[in-house]
Amino acid sequence: MQRAFVACIVIAAVAPLVGSFIVQRGQSLVGDGMGHVAFAGVGLAFLVGADPVLGALAFTVLAGLFLVRMGRAGLAGDLAIALIFYGGIAVGYLFASRANAGQTRLVGLLFGSPLNLTWSQVWVIVALAAAVVVVTVVLYPRLVALAFDEQAARVAGVPTDRLVMALTLMVALVVVGGMSSIGLLLISAMMVVPVAAAAQLASSYRSTLWIGSGVGASSAVLGLLASHYRDYAPASAIVLVAIVWYLVASGWRAATRRASRRAAAAGLGV
Amino acid sequence: MALELDRVSFAYGGAPVLREASLRVRQGEFVAVVGSNGSGKTTLMKLGLGLLTPSAGRARLFGDDIRSFRAWHKVGYVPQRATNASALPVSVDEVVRSGLAARAHWLGRQRPEERQRIEHVVDLLDLSAYRRSPMAELSGGQQQRALIARALVTAPRLLVMDEPTTGVDAEARQILRASLEHLVDVEGMAVVYVSHDPEGFSGLAQRVVEVVDGRAGAHDDKEPFRHRVAARS
Repeated sequence: MQRAFVACIVIAAVAPLVGSFIVQRGQSLVGDGMGHVAFAGVGLAFLVGADPVLGALAFTVLAGLFLVRMGRAGLAGDLAIALIFYGGIAVGYLFASRANAGQTRLVGLLFGSPLNLTWSQVWVIVALAAAVVVVTVVLYPRLVALAFDEQAARVAGVPTDRLVMALTLMVALVVVGGMSSIGLLLISAMMVVPVAAAAQLASSYRSTLWIGSGVGASSAVLGLLASHYRDYAPASAIVLVAIVWYLVASGWRAATRRASRRAAAAGLGV
Repeated sequence: MALELDRVSFAYGGAPVLREASLRVRQGEFVAVVGSNGSGKTTLMKLGLGLLTPSAGRARLFGDDIRSFRAWHKVGYVPQRATNASALPVSVDEVVRSGLAARAHWLGRQRPEERQRIEHVVDLLDLSAYRRSPMAELSGGQQQRALIARALVTAPRLLVMDEPTTGVDAEARQILRASLEHLVDVEGMAVVYVSHDPEGFSGLAQRVVEVVDGRAGAHDDKEPFRHRVAARS
């Protein structure tokens, strides 16, 4: 349980940092797609007897770079991206079944199995998350400019092409980092849902990042507690807690808006 | 010369948008680029800023070929305002500061001259009261002024604005006019004002260029606009 707490809190706190940039750029589903591609890498790793983390990392990084290049060439249409992402999960399962990887192991990678993590796996997750934090801190002003308006950032001299690549690599690191703990199909939710919840409460981009990170970490804690005491699937519980956070934050925002409208109307004597 | 487009051509897919269009903007000059929707005026500006690559012809900024141009702090760009709001909350201060991103310190620390410049443009565009406000809570005119402030924080020598008065109320137009007058007359900035609506630049523009049928250069001082727009001498 200790290992699960460390791994899930770390990755769930870091995922919204990257998520804030992809949500602002209108690419909320890119993490989901990267998860599909990562599964192809996992499948190949099983087939050749390599470390699944390395397989997933190699495939997500390559797919990310390929997609950026396609985007620059104007070829990254919806259909092309869908083909790559769905092809990834199909190829992954094909490889994994050829390698007799075992259903339990595969389900664990797709939907997370934080309770089965070893300490060495936990340290890999912490290292990947730390890399994401460092890159976010170093590139923060430029990533913000890119997220706000790519064309204006480019004219201002921001190296947008390289930044898009860096952001894609950060998504890949989060997907791979979250693979064993929250699962390839659920980790993208932790990039998006905490950010969506934070957006209901924050008044600036920076505060969205902080609140999103807090929502992610607290979802991990509450989800794991629910899993411990109620025997829920841990990763599912974490994501569902994050969704509850979003609903609560949306309700809070709607209520405060109603109250301020009423106060304004009363002030006007309406 | 601040901006020079020399016989540039461009096509989207197979459809030609610009054919050997030329435009020159001198330093300190206010030029309005007009044309109907889809005439290619935005494309012309994007070629001038290196956001698109011409299929023929050359673009230069401050005498340098656009491909080797590096002094981007000399250029400010205000894109056509997107109608969809930002997905996440963004404060006015963050938008304005993002204009300095290219030269930002790696920990985001600001230099004193950068702080001064931010104060200056925020005052110039009458945004001081809204610095901490989320953009989504501002009017269209206030949002547009924040985007202009972002373009001005590097103290550019050339400001390119694409349809800056779209969705902007009368009061905001007045503030924008006053700011533009200050930028050209006091700061000596070259301004390219792209718009289909002459009201925004009437009395400010020294020259009006109309983009017609994918050409710009041949239509300087186009007759209909000479009547409609009071250009400055």
